Amino acid sequence: MTLQLALRNLLRNRRRSLATLLALAIGSSAILMFGGYAANIRYSMLSSYVRSGGHLQIQYRDFFLYGSGNPTAYGIPQYENVLESIRRDEGLSKLVVVATPTLQFGGIAGNYEAGVSRTVAGTGYVAADVNLMRRWNEFRIPLDSPPFPLEGAPRDAAIVGVGVARVLLLCEQLAVNDCPKPERDAGSGGAKLPADIAALAMSETAPARGASPPAGKARIELLASHGRGTPNVAALRVIAAESQGFKELDDIAVILQLEQAQQLVYGRAAPRATSIMVQLQRTSQIPEATRRLEPLLASLSSTRPLSVLDFETLNPFYVQTIQLFDTIFGFIFALIGGIVLFTVGNTMTAAVVERTVEIGTVRAIGVRQAGIRRLFIAEGFLIGCAGSLVGAVLALVTAFVVNRLELTWLPPGSTEPLPLSLMIWSETRMIVGTTVGLIAIAVASAWWPAYRAARLTIVDALRHV
Amino acid sequence: MTDPVAVLSSVEKSYRMDAVTVPVLHGIDVLIRPALFTVVLGPSGSGKTTMLNLVGCIDRPEKGEVTVAGQAVNRLSDDELADFRAANIGFVFQNFNLIPVLDTFENVEYPLVLAGMAPERRRRRVSKLLELVGLADRAKNLPGQLSGGQRQRVAIARALARRPKLVIADEPTANLDTQTGAAIIALMRRMQERYRISFIFSSHDRTLINAADDLIILRDGAIQSIQRKKSSEADSAEPPAARVEDDE
Repeated sequence: MTLQLALRNLLRNRRRSLATLLALAIGSSAILMFGGYAANIRYSMLSSYVRSGGHLQIQYRDFFLYGSGNPTAYGIPQYENVLESIRRDEGLSKLVVVATPTLQFGGIAGNYEAGVSRTVAGTGYVAADVNLMRRWNEFRIPLDSPPFPLEGAPRDAAIVGVGVARVLLLCEQLAVNDCPKPERDAGSGGAKLPADIAALAMSETAPARGASPPAGKARIELLASHGRGTPNVAALRVIAAESQGFKELDDIAVILQLEQAQQLVYGRAAPRATSIMVQLQRTSQIPEATRRLEPLLASLSSTRPLSVLDFETLNPFYVQTIQLFDTIFGFIFALIGGIVLFTVGNTMTAAVVERTVEIGTVRAIGVRQAGIRRLFIAEGFLIGCAGSLVGAVLALVTAFVVNRLELTWLPPGSTEPLPLSLMIWSETRMIVGTTVGLIAIAVASAWWPAYRAARLTIVDALRHV
Repeated sequence: MTDPVAVLSSVEKSYRMDAVTVPVLHGIDVLIRPALFTVVLGPSGSGKTTMLNLVGCIDRPEKGEVTVAGQAVNRLSDDELADFRAANIGFVFQNFNLIPVLDTFENVEYPLVLAGMAPERRRRRVSKLLELVGLADRAKNLPGQLSGGQRQRVAIARALARRPKLVIADEPTANLDTQTGAAIIALMRRMQERYRISFIFSSHDRTLINAADDLIILRDGAIQSIQRKKSSEADSAEPPAARVEDDE
C-alpha cells in the first residue's frame, strides 16, 4: 500500500516528478558514461601493456629497480629451465598463453654513413612469441595490432622506434610519415664507419660475418657494453620503424631478435635473459599464477632469488592513470550525488508542504509517524529507482551510438590515437554501484522532509492552508 | 447508565501565537454520553474545535485528564495514541479531507488496510458501507470526480470503516448547501443509530443543532451550559457492544 500510494503521489504532480527524474537520469547517465570512458582507458592501457610485456615478468629480484643498466649482472642464466618448468607445471600451463624470454640492454645506435648516433634502449625478443602476445584481447578492445615484423626476418634484422628512425635519418628508407627533413642536414658531415668499429661489428654479427649489410637499405650499428666490460657492436638491418605509443619510447627503442641481442651482450658466453614475460589467458588469473610461480622459481634458483612482478608493478604509469580516473570518477559522482540530493530533497520538501493537510488527515486516521516517514522515503526510493534506471538506459544507448561512430582520441604523451569507446555494458559493478548509490542518495534526501512531515503536529497540519 | 464515551476533567489548553500564549480552554469538565448525537456550540474562538481535538486525541491538554472509551489518553505515547485513534475514533472533516490519489473504495478501505484486515473481509465491509452511504456505483471515482455531498459521504464511510466508538465531525456541513447538508445529517443519524456510535459535532448548522441529543455550549473557553435533550435511559437501551456486525 505504501509503495502504491507513493507511486500515485509521484504521478499526481507529473511535471515536478518528471523534472526530478530527468535530473537524476542525466546525472546517472553522466556518471556511467564517464565510468565507461574510464573503463575504456583502463582496458586499452591494460591490453596494450599485457600485449607488449605480459601479465607477469620473472626477473632477478632487484632487476626492476637496479638492473636495467646491467643486463650482465642481472641476466637469468639457464632461463630455458624456467620456461620448461612453466610448461611442465599442469596448473600453470592451463593459465599461460605465452611464456617468452626477453633481454633488455642499453647502447648507442649509429647511422655512421649519415654521421648520427644516439643512446638507445635495446630489447631482444622471440619474434613468434611477440606475435602470439599481440593477439591477446581479453576485453575486446579495437586496438590496432599489426603483426610483429621481426617474425621470419633474418637474425640481424631490427625494428626501431619512429623517433630513432627520425634521429638516425632513416625516414626515407623506412617510409616514415611525418618526418620532415631537418634544416641543417646533420648527415652531410657524416663519415664512413671507422674501420675498427666495422671490423668489430663484422665479428659479432654472425649471419652477416664477412659481408657488409646490403647497400641502399636502412642499417645501423648498435654498440652495447659486453658482459666482460668491453664494447661490442652489431650491424643491423632495420626492416621497419614502429610507433611505440609514446615519444619517449619512440626516441630510444631498438628491437631485435633475442639471439642477436644475446650475442651482442653476452658474446660467446652462455646466453641469458633479463626477464621472462608470462601472458595469461585472463587478467584475473594473476594471483593464482603468481602463487604457482613463486614456489617453482624458489626451487630453480639457489644463488639469487627470482621474483614475479605483475604488469601494474612494472608500469606505475598505468596505476597512476587508473587512480587519477578513479579520483575523477569519485569527484563526478560526489558532484552529481550532491545535485541529486538537493533536487530530490527539494521535490520532497515541496510535496510535504503541498500535502500538509493530507498528512494531518492520515495521522488523525491512525497512521503512525513511522508510516508518514515510510511514505515519503518510498517516494524518494521510487524516484531514485526510476531516475537511475532511465539514466542507465540512456547511458547504454549513448554508448552504443558512440561506439558505432568509431571515434579516436590522442591520449596525453601518446603518439598513436586510441579508439574512443564507452565500455558500460560490461561494467556490471559500475552500473549496479552507480544505480544503488543514486537510489541511496535519493532515499537519504527524502529522509529529512519525511522526518519533518512525520513530526508535524496533527492539529497544525489540519489547519494548514 | 452506560460508561461515557469521553470525559474531560479540569482540562486546560492554550496556544502560543508568536510570543503570546492564548488560553483557549479554562479547566472544562464535560461528560459525553455514548451512542448519541452531541453537538458542541459556541461562537468563533470559544474553543469548540480545541475541545473536539482533545476528545479526538489529536491534541493533548496542558492540564486535566482526558478519558476516551475508558482509556486515559494523556500519558499515551504518540504511537499508542495513533493506534488508539485508529481503533476507536473516526473523523469527518469540514473539507472532507479525502486522499486525492485514492478512489472512493480505496479511501474507505484505507483505515482497514492500516488495521491489517484481510483483503476479502475489507472488500465486503467497504462494499457494504458504500452501499449504505449510497455510493456503491461511485466506487472507482476519485474524490475530484465527486460532488461535495458525495465526498462527505465517502468521508463518513471512511470514519465508520473500523467501527469506532466515536466519530468526531468538525463542522461537517459547513461546505455544503442546505439540502445536501440536511441529507448528510440524516445519513449520519442513520449510521449512528445503525452502529450505536457516538457522534460529536461542532457546528452552527440549525438542522444539526435540532438533531442533537446533547448540546454543549461553550463560551470563552468555558462550558456555558449542557442540554441533555434525550433521556439517559435511552442510551442504555442498546449498549455499544451490541453494534451490528452484519455488514461483512
